[in-house]
Amino acid sequence: MAGKLRELLDISENDFDVVVRISREEDIAIARQMAKQLAQELGFSLADVTKVATAVSELARNIYRYAQPGKIMIRKRPEERGGPAIQVVAADRGPGIESVERVLTKGYTTHERSLGIGLSGIRRLMDFCEIASEVGTGTVVSVEKRRRKF
Amino acid sequence: MAFKEKVVPTIRIGDSLLVPIQIDLDDKTVEQLQAQLLAEIQEHRVRAVILDVRMVEVIDSYISYTLTETAAMARLMGCRTVICGIQPPVALTLAQMGIELQGFWVARDLEHAIGMVCSP
Repeated sequence: MAGKLRELLDISENDFDVVVRISREEDIAIARQMAKQLAQELGFSLADVTKVATAVSELARNIYRYAQPGKIMIRKRPEERGGPAIQVVAADRGPGIESVERVLTKGYTTHERSLGIGLSGIRRLMDFCEIASEVGTGTVVSVEKRRRKF
Repeated sequence: MAFKEKVVPTIRIGDSLLVPIQIDLDDKTVEQLQAQLLAEIQEHRVRAVILDVRMVEVIDSYISYTLTETAAMARLMGCRTVICGIQPPVALTLAQMGIELQGFWVARDLEHAIGMVCSP
């Protein structure tokens, strides 16, 4: 787990199309907007563009609330075998998550103005979701969504 | 309340307040909207607030939380809240995340919403 986290924290920004630093509340909307645009460029359906944008909004807010500064990195993967995909990595060197299992429980939150639905919701909106975290080191959440054919 | 403090211009219809949200909601604007609506409910003694979210493209968990809280506050002030015009992709996303927007009356569109608040 710790090895995975370091590996993810050391991911190069250069491999991504967009990097948004999250330190102010406005950055949440910027990250959301960027995700929306890249998903549109990949030809995602409006429903999936909305899901990706919402998931990124949740990821960015988690950084802003619990671990700022951090960053949201987004890349298009047009050549994936399963079809074009978008990958979003939310990384911070904040306090870390004590129990990943617990934060994935719907309704669990440590914030008084929250539904406790963010991370469990992200998992349902995206096709792939991986969380690596260590108390005192930081947290990386990597999510992916593939373009669906209709 | 001075107009410049409003984040969303509102329209009074009888004793209802129509709130067509035509901006992208972010954390700050949704909080300002809550404060604005509570002030207007008190000032104009409206019986119902209609939130028209037809133009809103993303409703995430915090926006949902704040809107639900606003509806609960309005109810405590004797005012019901109707939300209308939720777009299909937004409805899909909210449902998938398990967000129910409790405390709202939900209408299909503005006409349906006005019918709801006008019926006895």
